[in-house]
Amino acid sequence: MSNLNNMRNIGISAHIDSGKTTLTERILYYCKKIHAIHEVRGKDGVGATMDSMELEKERGITIASAATNVTWKDHEINIIDTPGHVDFTIEVERSLRVLDGAILVLCSVGGVQSQSITVDRQMKRYNVPRIAFINKCDRTGANPYRVKDQLIEKLGLNAVMMQVPIGLEDKLEGVIDLVEMQAIYFDAGEDGLQPRYAEIPAELVDEANEKREELLDAISLVDDDLMEAMLEENVTVDLINSAVRKATIGLKLCPVYLGSAYKNKGIPALMDAVNAFLPDPTEVENKALDLDNDEQEIVLPSDETLKPVVLAFKLEDGQYGQLTYIRVYQGKIRKGDELYNTRSRKKFKIGRLIRMHSNEMEDLQECGCGEIAALFGVDCASGDTFCHPDLNYSMTSMFVPTPVISLSIEPVDKKAADNMAKALNRFTKEDPTFRTYVDPESNQTIIQGMGELHLEVYVERMKREYKAEVVIGKPEVAYREAISQRAEFNYTHKKQTGGSGQYARVAGYIEPIAASAEGEDQKDYEFIDQIKGGAIPTEYIPSCDKGFQLAMKKGTQIGFPVVNISACVNDGAWHPVDSSDMAFQTAALAAFREAYERAKPVILEPIMKVEVTGPTEFQGNIFGSINQRRGMIVSSSEEGVSCIVEAEVPLSEMFGYSTVLRSLTQGKAEFTMEIAKYGRVPQSVATELKEKYAKKRAEENK
Amino acid sequence: MEIQELTKISPLRVFEESIGGGLGRGNLGVLVSRHGVGKTACLVHLATDKLFRGQHVIHVSFSGNVEHVINWYKDVFQEVSDKRHLDKSENVYDEILSNRVVMNFSQDMVSIDKVLSSLETLINAGSFKADAILFDGYKLTTANIEDVQKIKDFAAKLNVEVWFSVSPVREDVKYDEYGVPETVTPYLKVVDVLVGLKMNKEGDKVRMTLVKEHDKIADKPLEVCLDPKTMLISR
Repeated sequence: MSNLNNMRNIGISAHIDSGKTTLTERILYYCKKIHAIHEVRGKDGVGATMDSMELEKERGITIASAATNVTWKDHEINIIDTPGHVDFTIEVERSLRVLDGAILVLCSVGGVQSQSITVDRQMKRYNVPRIAFINKCDRTGANPYRVKDQLIEKLGLNAVMMQVPIGLEDKLEGVIDLVEMQAIYFDAGEDGLQPRYAEIPAELVDEANEKREELLDAISLVDDDLMEAMLEENVTVDLINSAVRKATIGLKLCPVYLGSAYKNKGIPALMDAVNAFLPDPTEVENKALDLDNDEQEIVLPSDETLKPVVLAFKLEDGQYGQLTYIRVYQGKIRKGDELYNTRSRKKFKIGRLIRMHSNEMEDLQECGCGEIAALFGVDCASGDTFCHPDLNYSMTSMFVPTPVISLSIEPVDKKAADNMAKALNRFTKEDPTFRTYVDPESNQTIIQGMGELHLEVYVERMKREYKAEVVIGKPEVAYREAISQRAEFNYTHKKQTGGSGQYARVAGYIEPIAASAEGEDQKDYEFIDQIKGGAIPTEYIPSCDKGFQLAMKKGTQIGFPVVNISACVNDGAWHPVDSSDMAFQTAALAAFREAYERAKPVILEPIMKVEVTGPTEFQGNIFGSINQRRGMIVSSSEEGVSCIVEAEVPLSEMFGYSTVLRSLTQGKAEFTMEIAKYGRVPQSVATELKEKYAKKRAEENK
Repeated sequence: MEIQELTKISPLRVFEESIGGGLGRGNLGVLVSRHGVGKTACLVHLATDKLFRGQHVIHVSFSGNVEHVINWYKDVFQEVSDKRHLDKSENVYDEILSNRVVMNFSQDMVSIDKVLSSLETLINAGSFKADAILFDGYKLTTANIEDVQKIKDFAAKLNVEVWFSVSPVREDVKYDEYGVPETVTPYLKVVDVLVGLKMNKEGDKVRMTLVKEHDKIADKPLEVCLDPKTMLISR
């Protein structure tokens, strides 16, 4: 790959069932990567090429993002197909980190749905330029204009229609390109699916002219050159294209395309847009931190002559062994080259270098700037940076959300136990949102993740891929504890049992950390040292800090971590012989516990933002089901026959909701949820939780 | 400041006094003006005041964007709580939020019967004991008199207060000196309280005039007006 200008790294992401995988499948077909189209839920049982995991094919959902690369009109395009379900959000985050641009797929009927909002927020976080594709224009009730308005209203994107549809719903025939001012039908070629360019149908000429005006107005607002050309009345196609490209890459514009992936309409035009308007690797600024120079930010130019910097963004332990997906940001890597892992500080040699196409692969000799490839048998964690041994850079870390739900698992026999350990080891390496630990009190293995489906999928994979049969417990929510007011402490730890004793006194206060401004992450813990005059010697101050942190790992109410606490020591006492690091840690821990009781502790639980979509006739049932779950209805929108109910519901009440909702609405409603915040557990529930915890502890101490 | 005190000294008390002690359950109140004078803010202020007093409120919007409405509430709350230095404002906000539901309809696609039945569903199936319902941006002038009567009957049946904000749709509507458009006249007999909003000549205040108060036709200026900066009701 010598010409970087002809390269695109793009992702495709959207709400569940907007047809991402179907779209990817069609792109592969049009780019001649595959020769027959298999449907996601096709009757031929083959399943979509990108959904290579057995489980994915069975459920018709995408779990792991797959990477593939295609060629479209001399442009090499790396595509990452990402899962739509929010439980697998880490997959989306990871792929966004390495992408230069994205296609945001929307359903022409459903419009901007909750997950589209999540995905868009993620794209904004990584400054990913995007074009929108309004899919399913063949569906009854399709209204692309409404979807475009929603893009503007709900996502705040400067969305402009680049096309208008020729017919809608079952009469969808093609689209009109508003830049070239021509109609495109998709019925040419041997397979009858290739684009055919024609005159705009007479009845649509006026509409097309009007929409073109709108398009030009919108672009000219963000591009002065075009504005000038419009005033001088010499607008050319090239000028429009270059203006759109500039504005799209500058995140000032979101061009909107239309079609129906399922009906093979609009894909070639969309691919042209990817080539024309999404950035090539040189147009995106990537930054790394120089670990040798106080983590100073360094811009990585996409230059192949420089020393290589590579990011490992995803691990996969597949049938061929451990596979590490990488993206090269600077320089070029060759088979046999030596690289340095800046996290583990280990050097390694590149063994096999390959390019993955879903689950088939292709060997490579070298891999240049901007390319996405995979390495074999490299021991690393996802998010590691590899660079030339002379450099010591780290790419900024990726945002990893904390798990909200946990589940106890128990292997059925000895063999299953071994296999389970192997499986867990691999899954935790692959997916940082999936965690596991052994509860020291109950001796059970606990797995933690982002949602019921997330854990369910891993349990299922354990069974299928590792033959590890496990019995699962009831899912449990990751509660947290916090305090609601300030409390002082003054604790003396004294022990005299022959030899040197233990002595430490710490005094100070704990108080809740005030909520930070919106959008900022709140700090979980803060240590303030206000010791004056050496009341506690400097060497023991970190011991106090440690003691507090130890105490916060497990609250006294229900045994969950304590958060949002600012702990301050302002006085104390010590003894030249009997004081030690240990003594101060113990004193701080006990002091914390003592003050904690007086600081009016509360229990926090994850509150989910739930969005239920269904026919209005079931609105009552939907309201009722939310109400029964301690839910708070935030809003309800109705349009024609369908309604969208948005609510905030505690996660602990959402277990099994999909089954309940299905039976309440004859299977016609669906819901999505994602974590909104941590909120206080009401008194009655808190009492219940505390009793349960006390009982559990009593049993363990028997 | 505590929340009880805050509601006691609120300019809304003055407003209520001047409309005969409040709108009252089962009644219909209307705020009317040209576009962009501040009806939505005014309506949200009315709702926020009710929320502060522990009442349940349904906000019905026809704008198509729930987010906007929610932001209005956030802003108005912020404005009120900052001005009066409300204690533990975040907790208060979280608490009152659970007493508010935003319902959004597209007026062109959903009939008033459907709107009312959805409201009733929310109140009954959703166990949401609404005390007041606010219709923001309802195109009263495209709705007919029967529709308005239906809403009034609904208010009486469920024993709730109903407030409206109304802007005329047509461009050629004539406004009287209180900012009340002539197109509202036919509805006067079903409306219990009608308040007109109009920017004064200096442009530094929005004058509020009580046009009708329960059974009396009045045209007295209210002792409150809208602060043009925050669009909130103030003295």
